[in-house]
Amino acid sequence: MKKENKLKLILKAIFTDMFIWVYISGSVSFLINHWFEVTIPGLHIVIYGSVVGVILMICGISVGRKMFLSTKRINKKWYKTFWGWSVVLILFITFIVGWILVEVNPYKFFTKFTNTSGIMSGIFNPNLDILIVSLTALAETIYLALLATIFAIPFAFILSFFAARNLMPKTLIGNLVYIIIRTFATVFRSIEAIVWAIIFSVWVGIGPFAGMLALMIHSIAALTKLYSEQIENIDYGPVEAIKATGANTLQIWVFGVIPQIISPFLAFTIYRWDINVRMATIVGFVGGGGIGLLLLQQQQLLRWHNVGMIIWLIAVVVWIMDMVSAKVREKLRGM
Amino acid sequence: MKNIIEIKNLHKVYTGGTQALKGINLNVKEGEFCILLGLSGSGKTTFLRCLNRLIEPTSGEIIIDGENVIAAKGQKLRLIRRKIGMIFQQFNLIKNLSSLTNVLTGKLGYSSLLHSVVFSKNEKDVRIAMENLNRVSLKDLAENKIKNLSGGQQQRVAIARALMQNPKVILADEPVASLDPATADSVMKYLGDLNKKDKITIICSLHFLSLARKYGTRVVALKDGEIVFDGTPKEIDKKRFKEIYGEDAEEVEIR
Repeated sequence: MKKENKLKLILKAIFTDMFIWVYISGSVSFLINHWFEVTIPGLHIVIYGSVVGVILMICGISVGRKMFLSTKRINKKWYKTFWGWSVVLILFITFIVGWILVEVNPYKFFTKFTNTSGIMSGIFNPNLDILIVSLTALAETIYLALLATIFAIPFAFILSFFAARNLMPKTLIGNLVYIIIRTFATVFRSIEAIVWAIIFSVWVGIGPFAGMLALMIHSIAALTKLYSEQIENIDYGPVEAIKATGANTLQIWVFGVIPQIISPFLAFTIYRWDINVRMATIVGFVGGGGIGLLLLQQQQLLRWHNVGMIIWLIAVVVWIMDMVSAKVREKLRGM
Repeated sequence: MKNIIEIKNLHKVYTGGTQALKGINLNVKEGEFCILLGLSGSGKTTFLRCLNRLIEPTSGEIIIDGENVIAAKGQKLRLIRRKIGMIFQQFNLIKNLSSLTNVLTGKLGYSSLLHSVVFSKNEKDVRIAMENLNRVSLKDLAENKIKNLSGGQQQRVAIARALMQNPKVILADEPVASLDPATADSVMKYLGDLNKKDKITIICSLHFLSLARKYGTRVVALKDGEIVFDGTPKEIDKKRFKEIYGEDAEEVEIR
């Protein structure tokens, strides 16, 4: 048993060192290629890196050995050790490669501010003529966010009970239901609303309906997670007490669980609407309709004064939503 | 008097191997006020929770009011639970609902599924609930939310909730452990009243010997999951006390 463990640790250490040195040799090759235009074949990179990693591991001075196999506590300062300098090398190389890949250019940042004059003048002189058109689009956005939230509530509400660890029986079926719902919620949530919007704008055509569907799917997943976590945090005592009165499972949920979660649920839902209004703007960019679509059109036509108008309206709405939802949530907390 | 509770060779082993109950044999007669004594961890809570299967016993036999508790499933188990009121140390009320609503939840075992899921209040049930609240002298606080009540008041609401079940037996798991001595005595007084007037059999775990002597008709002591004493409250002298609580223990007088 102990021997197996030791072997596992040695393997982990070797793989760590190989990974580190393949990464370092890969990064160095990238830099050589970038500066001197000499290409090093991929196979060589892997071989050199692995060999260096294994040798250093055998010599006993590598990072992998320090992480997995160092048993004695040696009070050597890190800058007197080889692994310490390896870490510095990794960080340094990562920074250099990152700088090149991201095309960081401070010169442009400090000298090309004047390029924004169009947008800036637009923001400070918004075109009031498109106020009505913009407000119409904005209403579309707010309503689509609202409907997405409302449609998401019943789905998330019911699913959340089955995704709560403390309510699901510890049987095979109970665990299976829990895991399936949780997994779906996580996967659907990790797919951004903007991706859903692309899918639905193909499915039902460009417009607010596609945006609403996108936000709805995302909201169901997000609310299921939030709701079920709230259920997992309830005081289990009352649930037990109601069980002891001879109530059935549904009664236990309705009388033991729901009264405890109703106000946090409302708070989460309002918060979600708030998020959805903000997301609806972005979703509009890819065919979700509303103010986002208008903003995209005006930006592509370079009508900066119209863009300015729209930006102001979005800012005001987001600000108001933020304030109202914070106030309501504060009130709910006391309930 | 006939036995209302018959327990034979009751065992409970928790996953992990802890033996909480090691073969409990106990008969409780109708109308007894049976006090459970014992150190924390002696198995009192496990024992009480096995009786209405909030905890699944590992083996043994439990007969309550002629019904086999361990064999019961689903609807049958719920009908048995209905006859057994339970009172908890932490009261276990829903804090953001009113006293009245909390008391009404005691009737859930009697109402049909559809009826109870809709939050409508049956007029007759409300009348009974108010009577029960009156019994614990809390009629005036019926509309108050639980979180605005004191500990003693909350425990009395819990007693009223148990009464809604029309119980034959009440299990009380350290009902006064989180209350001050004066409040503790007043809560015990209500339990004693139910025992004497309504002939409800009560099993109640306690830490205060003075309360055990005052209200109990019988004392059963648990130690390491076994019954080490079974007799009347008067029989507990210094020697017995040390047997139950260990050599170093001294009785602390609480009035």
